[in-house]
Amino acid sequence: MTAIRTEGLSKRYGETLALDSLDLEVSPGEVYGYLGPNGSGKTTTIRLLLGLHRPSAGRGFLFGIDAWHDPVEAHRRVAYVAGEPFLWPSLTSAETFAFLARLHGSTDTAYRDELVERFQLDVSKKVRALSKGNRQKVQLVAAFATRADLLLLDEPSSGLDPLMEVAFRQTVLEAKERGQTVFLSSHILSEVEALCDRVGILRRGRLVDQGTLAELRHLGAQTVEVTFAGAPPQLELPGVHVIQAGANALRCEVTGSVGPLIDALAHHDVVALTSREPSLEEIFLHHYDGSDGRVDD
Amino acid sequence: MWTTRVAVARRTFADSRIRTLCFALLFAGITAANVVGYRKTYPTVADRLRFVHAFGDNKSVRLFYGVPHDLLTVGGYVAWRAGGTLSIFAAAWGLLAAVRAMRTEEDAGRQELVLAGLIGRGGAFAAALAAIGAGAVVLWLATFVGLVATKLPAAGSAYLALAVVAVIPVFVGVGALASQLAPNRRIALELGSGALAAAFLLRVVADTSSLGALRWATPLGWIEELRAFAGPRPAVLLLPLVAGAILLGVALAIALRRDVGRGLLPARDDAEPRLALLGSPAAQALRGERGSLIAWLLASGAFAFVLGVIANSVSAAAFSKRVQEQLAKLGASAVTTPAGYLGFAFLFFILAISLFCCSQIAAARREEADQQLETLLALPVGRRGWLAGRLAIAVGAAAALALSAGFLAWAGAASQGAPVSLADLLGAGANCLPTALLFLGLGALAFATVPRASIGIAYGLTALAFVWELFGPIVGAPSWLLGLSPFHHIGLIPATPFRAEAAAVMLVIAAGAALAALWAFGRRDLTGA
Repeated sequence: MTAIRTEGLSKRYGETLALDSLDLEVSPGEVYGYLGPNGSGKTTTIRLLLGLHRPSAGRGFLFGIDAWHDPVEAHRRVAYVAGEPFLWPSLTSAETFAFLARLHGSTDTAYRDELVERFQLDVSKKVRALSKGNRQKVQLVAAFATRADLLLLDEPSSGLDPLMEVAFRQTVLEAKERGQTVFLSSHILSEVEALCDRVGILRRGRLVDQGTLAELRHLGAQTVEVTFAGAPPQLELPGVHVIQAGANALRCEVTGSVGPLIDALAHHDVVALTSREPSLEEIFLHHYDGSDGRVDD
Repeated sequence: MWTTRVAVARRTFADSRIRTLCFALLFAGITAANVVGYRKTYPTVADRLRFVHAFGDNKSVRLFYGVPHDLLTVGGYVAWRAGGTLSIFAAAWGLLAAVRAMRTEEDAGRQELVLAGLIGRGGAFAAALAAIGAGAVVLWLATFVGLVATKLPAAGSAYLALAVVAVIPVFVGVGALASQLAPNRRIALELGSGALAAAFLLRVVADTSSLGALRWATPLGWIEELRAFAGPRPAVLLLPLVAGAILLGVALAIALRRDVGRGLLPARDDAEPRLALLGSPAAQALRGERGSLIAWLLASGAFAFVLGVIANSVSAAAFSKRVQEQLAKLGASAVTTPAGYLGFAFLFFILAISLFCCSQIAAARREEADQQLETLLALPVGRRGWLAGRLAIAVGAAAALALSAGFLAWAGAASQGAPVSLADLLGAGANCLPTALLFLGLGALAFATVPRASIGIAYGLTALAFVWELFGPIVGAPSWLLGLSPFHHIGLIPATPFRAEAAAVMLVIAAGAALAALWAFGRRDLTGA
């Protein structure tokens, strides 16, 4: 059974189409990175999955259960970290944990204590006295301590310092080792690159690309840099786009096979040749190239 | 799943425990004070008969307390004098509790976390209702204890206490429905208060005109028809229960279908830029308060006009000298002439405008708690200038409210040919200001020194002073204790002359408190929610 499945899931707020016919499948045990700029529909997707907002069309399922129709059953195996750490200002962190554990139904208190230690939280402090980053840590600890089968994380590392970012990544990897599924909505590319098995890229409410990092890279252009003994030749090859030409060097982007380029270079005096796979950033930017790619919330 | 609902209900109850406690104390205090006061003031049947004679048909007094059904017994008197007022308080409590549980939590984004847990929308709705129900039981118990402690029969007391809280289901329903319709807390409260004001206005019309049947059209009228201690009609309890159930049913149906965090009424999220009133922090604050200021002006103006119209129906002929002495003991000394009646009525405007000043302190505090103030003060904006600007807006708005109430009361009275002059009633309006500004100054000082408690202190001080002025004399408090309430030192224009020295003292204290507030606010940390 899939952890997350959507069929033509769409949401319209008045004039704005926030999510346009999303078809998504996330398998159990997978860490899925959900990428998109601000306002591209990431939070809307999570709200629809949780049944907090009502789909305008289509359906979403968590472990086969439509959360709009049966939220309690659907949430039984799910933990959620909201995009903004709005908590109860008059409760301390410890009280918040107790309350959220009640709401979720179960929690692993030993693991929670471990996480409190790892995230360096002072649980006796009231939430109103905490900084945004610390409130975010409260949310994260509460969510991970449930050991839920599926973690829905909406920009979870916003507000975290670099040390805490490391702690967060470690916690996600632990969850993955235990076979938990993680749905990670983010616009921090390095985080997604480090953690995720598969990535979906959202643009103006549409899923424009999806696959493993290797698959995405394959589709993207590689960067090839060639240094020559003399002046670089003029290259007119299909799939090869020269970005920069120096006194004795060339940098080009190659889409598809590098074979034709290698063949062409064989007739020249090549001193050095490096090739680099596209980073996630380049893939991401590729999808947004030349358009603002944003919709308003 | 059951434990989840219990957890949410307990959280909701804990959230409003202080407010519920304050209301409970108020309910117990007011009922007990009325019982004691009546026994003391009218010990013999002859006293009571005279009192009935004076009040049996006095429309102007009915305006505030409703229709009396039996003024010869302690119970009947308390049911009339306290029951009518407390049911309005109970309605307000129900409204605030429902909006707090069902809309404020959503506005704050917390409802999303709750609903991501093992609880459905229906379950969360039920949990909120359970918490509010528990609060209503606390209020019932407090009223009951207030009555029984003063040795009224237990069964009748239980019924009167029930009558007082019986309006709660209706206004919880109103609040729940408004929370579904409105896109945010403020609009939900405005819708709900509008419904409460309409219910009160209907009761006023029903109680003071020949249209008595209209009483069946307003929830506040149903409470009167329950007739505690005066031939009870428990069947009438079905009305608020059924009305409450219908409203809650509709609210639940909407709650089950709606997107969390949004209302059924569209929020206007797109707008052409309107750059008026963005020139300074004070102007921007005025822009934010504009809607509520207009609502205050309309509500107080309408009420003043109605009072003016009714004032002329008061006739001195109905009151003997002896009765007038009785009235004096009740704290409604001179309601025997139009001028006297208007003077007494303006006591309530003094209260209303003082409460308005408290709402301005609350608005300033919210601006700080929600951290907009942090953004403002990071700019080249001085803190003292900011606070002074907010206080200036409050003073200006309070003056506008006071003078418009005076003018409209005069217009109402003049339309009936009542012998009161415009100058007198403008004076009555202006006479609201020293007291209101005193509470504004004290509220500002609380804001500057104990920000988190300041909203409660401002409203609490005002309410306490007013309740003490109304009920202190009834329980026979010594005059130095009565004198603690600013309301005790007001000349009720046009009935009694303006008390210049008292007004001057209040203004001096107000100015001193405001200056101290400016000084103290310049020295303290900004404090979040």
